[in-house]
Amino acid sequence: MVSPIYIIAILLGMAFMLGLLSKSGTRIAGILTSVSLALPVYISISWFIQILSGNADAITIFTAGSVPPFSINLVMGLEEAFFTSAINILGLLGFIYLSADLKKQGVRAMALYLVLIMGLNVVVMTRDIFNLFVFMEIVTIAVAGLIYLKNDNQSKEAGFKYLVAVGIISLFFLIGIGFFYFYGGTLNIDGFIAANSVVVKGATIAIFFIIISIILELKPFPANGWALDVYQAATPGVSALISSGTATASIFVLYKLLPLGSEIWLQILTVVGAVTFLGSNFLGISQKNTNRLLGYSSIGQVGLLMMVIGFMPQLGSAFKMIFFSVFISHFLAKAGLFWLSGIVKKESITDWGILRGSNIALFLFGIFLFALVGFPPFPSFYGKWQMVMELAGTGRFIWIVIILLGSFFEGLYLFRWLGYAIKGEKSNEEKLQIPWDKIVPPFIFGISLFIAAYYANSMSVYGNTINLIPLVFILLLFVIDFLPAYIKNTITIGAMVYYAVNLYPSISDDTLRVVFAAIFLIGGILTMIAGYSVKGKRKGFFPFAVMMYFGLIGLIEAENLFQFFFAWELMTLGSYILIIRGKFSMKHAFNYMLFSLGGAYLIFLGIAMSSFGNTSLDIGIIGLSTMPGWSYTLLAIGFLTKTAALGLHIWLPGAHAEAESDVSPMVSGILLKGGVFGLIVLFLAMGGEQAASHPLLYSLGWLGAITALGGNLLAVFQEDAKRLLAYSSVANLGYILFALAFMTNIGWLSALTYSINHFLFKTLLFLAIGGVVLRVKTHNMYEMGGLIKQMPWSFIAVLIGIITLAGIPPLSGYAGKWLFYNAVITKGWYFQGVLVFFAGTIAFLYCFKLIYSVFLGQPKDRFRKVKEAPIWYLIPQFILIIGIMIFSARPDLVLKPIGALLTQSSYFPSDSLSWENVTASTNLGYWSGYKIMLVIGVMFAVLLVWLMYMSRKTQKVKQFNIVYAGERPFTPETTHFSHNMFSHYYKALGFLSAPLATRFWNITNDITHRIADGSKRLYTGNGQTYLAVIMAYIIIIYLIMF
Amino acid sequence: MLRNSLRVIIIAALGWILFQVYSGYSSRDELNELAGYYATEGLSEVGAANLVTSVVVTYRGLDTLGEVTILFLTALIIGLMLKAEHRGDRTRLRESSEFLVTASHVLLPVIFMVGVYIFINGHLTPGGGFQGGAILASTLILMLLSFTNSKISHKVLEITESVSGISFIVLGILGVILAGGFLDNKILPLGEFGKLFSAGAIPVIYSFIGLKVGAELSTIILEFNQIQGTDDKSL
Amino acid sequence: MTNLFSIEYITIFTSFALLVLGLWGIISQKNIFKIIISFSIVNTSIHLLLVSLAYIRNRTAPIIDSAVDRVNAAEKVVDPVPHALVLTAIVIGIGITALMLSYAFTMYKQHKTLDINQYKSLKW
Repeated sequence: MVSPIYIIAILLGMAFMLGLLSKSGTRIAGILTSVSLALPVYISISWFIQILSGNADAITIFTAGSVPPFSINLVMGLEEAFFTSAINILGLLGFIYLSADLKKQGVRAMALYLVLIMGLNVVVMTRDIFNLFVFMEIVTIAVAGLIYLKNDNQSKEAGFKYLVAVGIISLFFLIGIGFFYFYGGTLNIDGFIAANSVVVKGATIAIFFIIISIILELKPFPANGWALDVYQAATPGVSALISSGTATASIFVLYKLLPLGSEIWLQILTVVGAVTFLGSNFLGISQKNTNRLLGYSSIGQVGLLMMVIGFMPQLGSAFKMIFFSVFISHFLAKAGLFWLSGIVKKESITDWGILRGSNIALFLFGIFLFALVGFPPFPSFYGKWQMVMELAGTGRFIWIVIILLGSFFEGLYLFRWLGYAIKGEKSNEEKLQIPWDKIVPPFIFGISLFIAAYYANSMSVYGNTINLIPLVFILLLFVIDFLPAYIKNTITIGAMVYYAVNLYPSISDDTLRVVFAAIFLIGGILTMIAGYSVKGKRKGFFPFAVMMYFGLIGLIEAENLFQFFFAWELMTLGSYILIIRGKFSMKHAFNYMLFSLGGAYLIFLGIAMSSFGNTSLDIGIIGLSTMPGWSYTLLAIGFLTKTAALGLHIWLPGAHAEAESDVSPMVSGILLKGGVFGLIVLFLAMGGEQAASHPLLYSLGWLGAITALGGNLLAVFQEDAKRLLAYSSVANLGYILFALAFMTNIGWLSALTYSINHFLFKTLLFLAIGGVVLRVKTHNMYEMGGLIKQMPWSFIAVLIGIITLAGIPPLSGYAGKWLFYNAVITKGWYFQGVLVFFAGTIAFLYCFKLIYSVFLGQPKDRFRKVKEAPIWYLIPQFILIIGIMIFSARPDLVLKPIGALLTQSSYFPSDSLSWENVTASTNLGYWSGYKIMLVIGVMFAVLLVWLMYMSRKTQKVKQFNIVYAGERPFTPETTHFSHNMFSHYYKALGFLSAPLATRFWNITNDITHRIADGSKRLYTGNGQTYLAVIMAYIIIIYLIMF
Repeated sequence: MLRNSLRVIIIAALGWILFQVYSGYSSRDELNELAGYYATEGLSEVGAANLVTSVVVTYRGLDTLGEVTILFLTALIIGLMLKAEHRGDRTRLRESSEFLVTASHVLLPVIFMVGVYIFINGHLTPGGGFQGGAILASTLILMLLSFTNSKISHKVLEITESVSGISFIVLGILGVILAGGFLDNKILPLGEFGKLFSAGAIPVIYSFIGLKVGAELSTIILEFNQIQGTDDKSL
Repeated sequence: MTNLFSIEYITIFTSFALLVLGLWGIISQKNIFKIIISFSIVNTSIHLLLVSLAYIRNRTAPIIDSAVDRVNAAEKVVDPVPHALVLTAIVIGIGITALMLSYAFTMYKQHKTLDINQYKSLKW
């Protein structure tokens, strides 16, 4: 093993040596520099591996042939080896990335770079406080030099601000060192700790100056204006170094020096970190400049790391894992993002559409963002989970709220950015230039994220309960993304069938789970069949579709809350990408993500509160929560964002309507059931029947009823067929919520019937309408019309769909209704029941509109030659129709076992449905799907025959056998009956459909942005003000301390 | 007005904090353990009569390495920054007076020798590599003042700087190989206390430091000198 | 109270006074050069502080010569360590100041002004 002292010798020796090379020797210098950067990588990594595997102990490197405290010593232990490895790898890759810029400046710039990396290494390893100061100054000066590399006005300004700010901070550090030595009698950190010199009052002041300087170096909010300017103005390659390199060293220094001070520093650090994490991310939400935005995010992440360090005693043995996962995500992702920003070269995040020019860059961009926000399976997900759980264990909920709120803000701006990259405008002339030396570093960091994810997973307490094979499968789908769509589609369907077959035995005794698993997997397979109609490669579709379905299935399979949340986040992420693929989906997908993130964090908080005082994380502990009111409410609101309860629904219509034709059924018919399943889990944990009088349920019942009414009202006035269906989904989910909130046996049975029905008919309708839209290229119903001749199969599908939707006998929608009214009467929620009944009537209106406007009436000229929807769309539709038929005729096949399960379980023992063959009865009456089917079938046949008999002599009128009076209207469609079809109702009921919720959220959004924008003005750009803020910061912390 | 009063408050508060520190201070009348060690054991261990030198060059040799690195960096960055500003014709500077030129001829070698003396004797008398190096660099200032239009080669300075820098590191590494650790001065015999050839490698190291510091400060001065006259006179 | 007029008290007080003065200059002067000079004042004040902390009354410089014996050096000399630190700190100070000056120069070349209020192209 090579002594770590050679890291210094090699880097510094080479830096000095480069001075001997002539100015033209940049080529040789480049090679020499790369080699001398590679050697430290080898040295530090070999130490890390050896120490980690136990083959070597931490070593102390003595200098000057003497021992500390007399001479300076360096330590290479596990932590040092880890951090130096990180720094050296960053150093090597960063050099490859920057080499073109550095070569332009000549050999000297490379020497500068070498010294920077050397300085960072010593800062990590040294155990002498003054030595630390010297090498921190080296780093400062080297960074100031690198900032200048860009050599424009902004970088000069930023460099000067940086130099003065850090200069002042380091002077305070020096004052601290003076007193450190004066009172402690040593400059050795370990010696000082051992002597416990803080007991003396003077040493406290020394430590105050020392630690406050390090904190200020970490750019705490709001004393960080200089740092933001640097991030913005420097070359992205240099910003990457600052963000990932120097921040890494500084955070380690803080960790190293904290034992010098008393416990109170931990608390201060927590506050400082929290303020920074929250403040920085909040201000980030109204930032458009790419590098400055990354600066805000960087500072925020460092704030989070400070919080982690501050909570060291509370986190206990989990500290290492939490720190590792939060740190490594920030380290890899931030450097990667800065590097990508250097490739894209766009100042504003709104111009990032150009990134689509490269698949690999877009892929890397995505994973870096997901890693930062903390989506599974990336390390920060594990870290944040563990941290929140540990904090919850000690009841620190305010801190959890801060962490989640900060993460939410961060997610907000990162996803807006991602939206611009995936969907933003992009001019065709511009091509993304990606030289290999610019893409290799971020690529390696991207891959490392997965490796780090693996380690975070294995270090995490619950990590081993996660099934990683599907994740590997998703990754594999990325690798084979170059294949044509139909191959990937087949592979995906095959995998889902395989999964379903394997899953069934393990859940077969739990009918409830089987039902949802069937919705998710069979629904998944059916919708994937429609995907065969897509030509080409369909890049990036399959991995995320699988991710969503895997997430959904994960909800069912979850045994503990960790797995549940993991699956929930996967589902969110996958569905977000699916939704944003639609042509005009950018804004809607963003809204979806906004609500999903917010909902997910509420769920997270709810889980955290439930876990308080409980030792396990089994799903059942929700019911044992010591703060049931909070836990239940938070979880319920979280799940309701997914089921789009009125008020939280505004993301849904756009997201569902603008998605691709075969994605709409996925996210509507299937995905929404994820939220329903969440509610089921919650309600069961609350205790089933026994909790029936819980006030939360009462309000949820109302909410469900109002949602049903509101959703249907909004649906009626839509001209857009897919939006109509989307609003109808809102209403249907309202029914389900209402029925679940009964918390009675029959109520739940009806809720489940509704869920199954909604899955069947909404998937059917979206597929059918999707097929139509695919052919006629418009969503507006009044532009369609008379399509029955061109698309008879689609017509039949829609007809069956709306009959089911409207709950007209004989189809299964009626079953739901029958159960539902039974439940309402038993429960006695008459008033709400009336609302829902009224809502049901309104549904007739839009059902009629849907079928009439699209398929009946006068065919339009331009659609005379449209073909029937693709066969791949029709196949799943008719499978679904068969499903509806079976479920209508023999509801007992499904409902009996569910009923049995509900009755037998301890949750809903009373008032069950009794079955006699196909006939179900309650004490209010009886019903048999089979008989109704028969009766209605006969009636229908008789009427049909009669109608045909009566109409045999009718004469067909040519379509244009009418004369318009007066002028020809410019948009003839709008004069048609089906345009603004229900305007008379609108006069009466329109006020109810005012977009109150949308207005509310818009105003909230607006205010938030204004506040963020206003607070940002704190950073006036005046370097002097920044210095004054730094001084004020010192004073404030002093006042807090003493 | 508000800004000004805020500033006053900030400074007053800082002053108040510092006053707290000041009132907490009381002078000491004993060397602490560490300094005591340097003053007793250190004398025989390192063999330098100048205790500060033994601390600077040996015990805290790594700091000193960092320190010369800082000067190296500064010279390098200033070179990078000002290189871009060298463009354009330099106005020809006025010739210096006869007095200055004549005196320089006499003084330059003397000052140079004093500089060398100071860093060679750094382990015995007040002074050392930094002080000596600074004096060396001052000869350059005198040269620039008296021979205003002479050309001074960067190359010589760069080579001096690099060679002494590398030698410094090589000596440090030799310490790891031959003696007790990085920058150990005992790679050479300690010699007789108080003599020129004593204290092991200290005089050698200090000489290299002297040369390096001299070269680096000279480079900085040269860089600043070269931008002179490229802009208006108000600067 | 006699202590207060002893040299180390005076120098420490002076150094703090200089420190405050320098900080005031840094946040109130508009001219970039004056800010750099204020920075230098702060820097120097801290050097003065370090040397003062090393001082022990009635003792001399830590160099063995005719005035100080090898044998009883520990009773005769002031603390050598802060002196070594100051040496290093001075050099670092020079480096940073020189760098600030060259930054100031290049900034001036661009904008022809040294007023720090004119350098606000980066903000928010």
